[in-house]
Amino acid sequence: MSRRRSWALASGFFAIAVAALGLSAYSGASSSQGFAPVQPVNFPHPKHVQQLGMNCLYCHYSANRSPDPGLPAVGTCMGCHTVVQGRRPAIQGVADRDTASINQLLSYAKGTPDQWKPIPWIRIHKLPEYVHFPHMRHVNAGVTCQTCHGPVPEMQRVYQYASLNMGWCVNCHVKGYNLADGLLAAGDTAGARAAGNVEPKKARYDCAVCHY
Amino acid sequence: MSQPPKTVVKRREFLKVLGSTGAAATAVGCFQEPVEQLIPYVVSPDHTVPGVSTNFASVCRECAAACGIIAEVRDGRAIKLEGNPDHPVNHGALCARGQAALQGLYNPDRYRGPMVRRDNRLVPATWDDALTLVRQRLSEARADNAAGGVRFVSHHENGSFGAFVDQWMSAGGFGGHIAFDAEADLAVRAANQAEYGSAWPALDFAAARVIVSIGADFLDGWGSSVAHQLSFADARGKLGTAPRFIYIGARRSLTGLNADEWLACRPGSELAIANALLSAVGGSGNTTIAAAATASGVSEASLQRVADELRASQPSLVLGGVSTPDAHLVALAAARINKAAGNVGITVKPDEGLSGLGGAAGAQALAALATEMNAGSVRVLFIRGANPVHALPKAMQFAEGLTKVPLKVSFSSYPDETSELCDVVLPDSHPLESWGDSEPVRGVLGLQQPVMDPVFNTRAAADIMIALARADNAMSSRYPWATYRDFLATRYPAGGNAFTEAVGKGLGQGSVLARNTTSAALPTTPQAISGDGEFFLVVHPSPALGVGAGANKPWLQELPDPVSKIAWQTWVELHPSAAARLGVGNNDHVTVRTAAGSITAPVYIYLGIHPESVAVSLGQGHTVYGRYAQGIGVNAVDALGATFDGAGRLAWTQAKASVTKGVGGARLVTTEGSARQHGRGLARAVTAAQLAAGEMGVEHHEFIADASHEFKPGLRSPVANDAQGNLGDSLSTKKGMYADDHWSGMASRRWAMTIDLARCTGCSACVTACYAENNIPTVGARWQGRSLRPFHTADGAGWDNEPGANILKGREMAWMRIERYFEGGEDGSTNFETRFLPMLCQHCGNAPCESVCPVFATYHAPDGLNVQVYNRCVGTRYCSNACPYKVRYFNWHGYGEEARRQYAFPEPLNLQLNPDVTVRGKGVMEKCTFCVQRIRDAEHLAKAENRAVEPDEFTTACAQACPSRAIVFGDAANEEWSVARQVEDQRAYHVFEELNTFTAVVYLQKVNHPAAGGTR
Amino acid sequence: MATVAEPVRPNVASANIQLPGVESYEQVDRDIAGTLVPTKGWFLLLGIAIAFFLWGAGTWTYQIYWGLGNAGYNPPVMWGVYIISFVFWVGIGHAGTLISAILYLFRAGFRTTIYRCAEAMTVFAVMTAGLFPIIHIGRPWKFFWLVPYPNWRLIWPNFKSPLVWDVFAISTYLTVSATFLYVGLIPDLAVLRDRATNPVKKRILAVMSLGWRNSEPEWRHFARMYLFLAAFSTPLVLSVHSVVSFDFAMALTPGWHATIFPPYFVAGAIFSGIGMVFTIIIPIRKYFRLQHIVTINHLDAAAKLALFTSMVVGCAYIIEFWVAWYSANEFEQAYFWNRVFGQWWWAAWIMLTCNMIFPLSLFSQRLRRNPAWLFILSILINIGMWFERFVIIVPSLSHEFEPWQWSGYIPSWVDTSILLGSFGWFFMWFLLFIKNLPVIAIAEVKEIVPPRLRTHAPRADIDVTGHHVDYSPETPGEHD
Repeated sequence: MSRRRSWALASGFFAIAVAALGLSAYSGASSSQGFAPVQPVNFPHPKHVQQLGMNCLYCHYSANRSPDPGLPAVGTCMGCHTVVQGRRPAIQGVADRDTASINQLLSYAKGTPDQWKPIPWIRIHKLPEYVHFPHMRHVNAGVTCQTCHGPVPEMQRVYQYASLNMGWCVNCHVKGYNLADGLLAAGDTAGARAAGNVEPKKARYDCAVCHY
Repeated sequence: MSQPPKTVVKRREFLKVLGSTGAAATAVGCFQEPVEQLIPYVVSPDHTVPGVSTNFASVCRECAAACGIIAEVRDGRAIKLEGNPDHPVNHGALCARGQAALQGLYNPDRYRGPMVRRDNRLVPATWDDALTLVRQRLSEARADNAAGGVRFVSHHENGSFGAFVDQWMSAGGFGGHIAFDAEADLAVRAANQAEYGSAWPALDFAAARVIVSIGADFLDGWGSSVAHQLSFADARGKLGTAPRFIYIGARRSLTGLNADEWLACRPGSELAIANALLSAVGGSGNTTIAAAATASGVSEASLQRVADELRASQPSLVLGGVSTPDAHLVALAAARINKAAGNVGITVKPDEGLSGLGGAAGAQALAALATEMNAGSVRVLFIRGANPVHALPKAMQFAEGLTKVPLKVSFSSYPDETSELCDVVLPDSHPLESWGDSEPVRGVLGLQQPVMDPVFNTRAAADIMIALARADNAMSSRYPWATYRDFLATRYPAGGNAFTEAVGKGLGQGSVLARNTTSAALPTTPQAISGDGEFFLVVHPSPALGVGAGANKPWLQELPDPVSKIAWQTWVELHPSAAARLGVGNNDHVTVRTAAGSITAPVYIYLGIHPESVAVSLGQGHTVYGRYAQGIGVNAVDALGATFDGAGRLAWTQAKASVTKGVGGARLVTTEGSARQHGRGLARAVTAAQLAAGEMGVEHHEFIADASHEFKPGLRSPVANDAQGNLGDSLSTKKGMYADDHWSGMASRRWAMTIDLARCTGCSACVTACYAENNIPTVGARWQGRSLRPFHTADGAGWDNEPGANILKGREMAWMRIERYFEGGEDGSTNFETRFLPMLCQHCGNAPCESVCPVFATYHAPDGLNVQVYNRCVGTRYCSNACPYKVRYFNWHGYGEEARRQYAFPEPLNLQLNPDVTVRGKGVMEKCTFCVQRIRDAEHLAKAENRAVEPDEFTTACAQACPSRAIVFGDAANEEWSVARQVEDQRAYHVFEELNTFTAVVYLQKVNHPAAGGTR
Repeated sequence: MATVAEPVRPNVASANIQLPGVESYEQVDRDIAGTLVPTKGWFLLLGIAIAFFLWGAGTWTYQIYWGLGNAGYNPPVMWGVYIISFVFWVGIGHAGTLISAILYLFRAGFRTTIYRCAEAMTVFAVMTAGLFPIIHIGRPWKFFWLVPYPNWRLIWPNFKSPLVWDVFAISTYLTVSATFLYVGLIPDLAVLRDRATNPVKKRILAVMSLGWRNSEPEWRHFARMYLFLAAFSTPLVLSVHSVVSFDFAMALTPGWHATIFPPYFVAGAIFSGIGMVFTIIIPIRKYFRLQHIVTINHLDAAAKLALFTSMVVGCAYIIEFWVAWYSANEFEQAYFWNRVFGQWWWAAWIMLTCNMIFPLSLFSQRLRRNPAWLFILSILINIGMWFERFVIIVPSLSHEFEPWQWSGYIPSWVDTSILLGSFGWFFMWFLLFIKNLPVIAIAEVKEIVPPRLRTHAPRADIDVTGHHVDYSPETPGEHD
């Protein structure tokens, strides 16, 4: 075909491609991936998880028995921090702690427990209200927290790791969750190796599983 | 849902979660969410997990029956009430009024805190100020030796509270306490006490072979309607051998509509009939059938037949419950019939009766108080729970009396006609926020505990009174208890620790009430219904609103009256012939005038009313009672004078009235399209005889259709339209949706429902339960109407402000509606039959709605649900056009959006929203989901316990609430579920099954018991 | 059907001499291009049209904010004025394509002078129709979900749903008819270019006419292209409205679920379209004094087409009733009774009289050749056809299977405003069109003007210029 004709064709296809891209972009644009707000209390996950070896479920205490993962109550923090005060000299095992952030915490826990105020954490991982995400089903199925929330133990400031878009969810439900990948994400290389290549765990993917 | 953060934090503190539970969710979600805060507990409470419900057993206080309830509490908020399965009265069922208690708790118009009258306005005050004021006045009164002038009017409450008040009054040396109950049938209580020695014997409908009710509306709230309905439904459940039910009365109430035969008698003539029947069964009625016939206008033949039936088929059950001045005499006669017919102990069980009904006083007692007040001898008046100004006739001058009382103290939680006239308002905590007890049946205690922290700055009345007493030198000595809870615990027969244990179950043993053995002497002279005018005025409480307490709860306003199907309105019922005589039609205004006063309301032409009577329902016509009640309808009491029956209750049916055509009219806010089935076989019935002969489907009109589609009981596997599109053979008996090897393991899942029309009474409890469970918006409030013109003004001009405006446009959102069809009676005769048909999404296996949705917003789930995905819906409304059952509802306005004036959940009503169900935004379609959230919960639970979902493990909200046990839900593909057996019943049929929709909702035909030789 | 039986009356133009009033090609250019000068009256009309359009647009934004509840919907009547108007406007479009494409293939000469108007009308009507499905849905901002495109959710639209077919049908129809209109315009644009004095305008026209040189090969390609597009549009005339009719026929609803719908709708569409053509062309030929180009013969022929389609439609109405009776389906019978003798009698009778009774007047040649009557009739037809859609949609939904859910329907100020707005939108475009592009196909008119210097006159009463010998403007059939 003549060059002119082929140009005409090309531009036509280009137009269609642009339209399709635009729509796809719009449909995926609603993700707040990477959102990393400054929290009222600068809680250093690395220190608590990596150095002190605390388990996620210690603070997010209902993630394995409720749709709602649960947030640490001030009481939970103060369980340790009545001992580990911001202004006291370092004691065994807890070196160079971030006094400033502990003081942030203490500002919510002044006086006796019934004068304490809840910490207004800023929400990072948010699904739209028409999506029902039962945490316990996923946790109990062996999905590691890091699979969706990313390397939180290494995050000085927590950010939204995954896009949390529907396609992202459906992908895993259809293709299935590979335990080894999950453990790898959780940094458990040994476990990952041990897990080997087990059959990926699939999940139902008809709309009403999550949307109702 | 933003309660201002509380500084003092206790157990069951609100956990303000917008997101993960998603109570305030809308399906619109097309804009970026604003940054949100997550507020955790300060100290994690024991026994609660965020996002997981905790259940608290308590007592329903919406009527005197005091049913047991289970309150589902999520994150510190009560979100649903259900019946307590172990409770001896309601056995797990709960009526619409009980369900709606939540909207009393979260009512947006509640008093936020104490109020004190300053320069003639009630203004907010601190508890200290308010209480000091009251304390001063009390001591002043005592100083002036006028302590006797301190009086207490409370709404009669089943349990210790009455005794508590009496004790308090005597401790202070104050005057008497009146436990007012506007609705309770005191006449029947007195008569029963006199005849059986028990205020309210247990009624065993199932044991009777014939039931005769003389104006006793035992399904409309007469006595304990849930208890009666459970028993009545069991009687109906005997199908072929079920008792025949004859209703005698001037108006066919919901109870009357459930009768096999209706004898329409003149109001006031019930006594003659009762006596005639009494003589017929060998008692001393001293009235002949003939005399009764002339008095009542009922044909002698029919009366004779009833008499014969009573003689022939024993045991029988005769109930008398009219509201005329003769009520007590009718009740006495009915009781004597039962005695003469030897029903006592079989169908009438005095020993097992409802208890805790004693001690209630009627309007007459308040009349006495009113005269005292007008005489100026009342110094301080306490009012709790009751609303006399609205419930009493003007003639009694209660309001005027109030103005002459120096200090009126109201414990009312809501602004109402009475509290607005008071000087101090000490808002009472809602029963769901406070302690209490009740004795529903002798020897069993229902324990009421707070299920959550008070929504507002309120205190329990009893606690306030204890506080007052302890601060008062004269009384403190007699008040060792710090709180009412302590009082109850010490009163509890088995002691305090036992009390604490029992509270968990909501039920305890023992008795706290003195057994009433004395029976007051009742006047014996009959009182004719007087007044001039050609009509008898029949006034009756509304099944949903009672005498008015329910009017501020949108669920109850929105619930169509089970008889007239009218909501958000007062209407006047006229017989077709009467309407023709007056030259009025539906919607025309008529004025009903008696000696006492007049009311004007639109006409509703109704077959079930005696041609010489007009009927008006109570409950509406509030001048103050919050945004949902105010200015809606008229108060029928305005047409009544101070006439009482022998037991001192206001006689609602007391006078004759003249009815004249009024100016203009008001469109009836009805959900009824056509009241006739036009031979389409939606609600089917067989007679007992046909049932015996196995002649099913005789009424089913024939269609030109493939013979293979002829109905067979049970479910057939659906064709074509399920999500994965695998085809099934329409005739195969395999009921599941899926290939046996489907990985989802749901090859044999088919959620289905059966509705037994023989049991269903049309009470509509299921409808309200559905509203509560599924966050269905009410749309009838006057600010929810549509726009009538552009350029609105701030005062709302330009919007359709008519109450029920949306319902007039057919836009009610009830996922489940009760259709009420009449059969026969076209000639205006009393010989017509009523069929109630609960209509909800049929979850068709071959759903017409699914194929037409352009975006798969509705599709078939693997487990047989017809799913509606709100967030995928673009709102073409094609599905609704395709749906033959018309069970899909569209969000015409932003009912779920706070920014719109049509918002249906004004603060704090939104705290009730079920976090498991999305609140729909405007522009999307919604419909019954078979409570998919409950299905998912069951699956989560089963998974957590590593097992399969067990048969009948859970059920839908409607089935759970149904006091007739007419609804059965479950997996029809698994023989172990009871629904799987039900669908094989010989009475089973699908509505419009000739359309090949393969519905998952199966109806079981109603069974009629026509009089000998009759057809219906 | 196109040619006039000859001779119908003395001194009436015949097939081979269609435009006795036109003497030269120059006159054609002059007369037609002469219409392009803006006038006060035109500005006034345009102003009114734009005002209506803006009012409609404003109302739509209002509706989006406050919800569809402000329209007159009365469930179960879930479709109302918007879908009625959608079908109405799509229908209008069809006559245009019929006249410009099908009649071109049939070599029906009378189309020549009216097809440009009709074709433009098609494009604008479809532009209008396309808006209504979006206006009508609950969440217009999600409308693109009906379009199949690669997305993050990994889901497609439901290809089983007629609404998705609509999306394809309407978009295809718009594209093709717009192209067809443009291609037909090319030679005329060249004429305008040559006559243009303003350099900017000249440039624009030059570009738009793709540098048309009026050369032999250009004409050959043009003819081929035109023929091809005509052939391409022809099936659309049948397919598009068939698809629209499936919106109803595919649902279970009584009164909708009928196999007759596609032909019934197509006939109705063409009928309504011709109505609209009359409504537009008659004022134009009068206002611009083009009676000698758009002659009575052309109107007469078009009127016969209207008469024919009207009878097809009427036949469809009768068949509907017969089928309802013959099917012995109680739902259908109840519905049709309610439609014509019950609740909706008034709407049904507006439809029947306007679409079945009045058009029968066209059996009279006198009326067929009377522009005044044709104009009045065309208005009646437009009303009648709008009500046909009303009668199909509203009574069906208000009287379905479930007696408990029977209802009524009254449009609100919102529906009405948006309907009027749509007329504003349509006429806004059309008015802009008639002052910027030739409303009559110059090139094609020239084809039917006999060339000068003919060696002999085809008929005794015609001279070599194609004039009647005894020419007078008063002769019927030439001026009136």
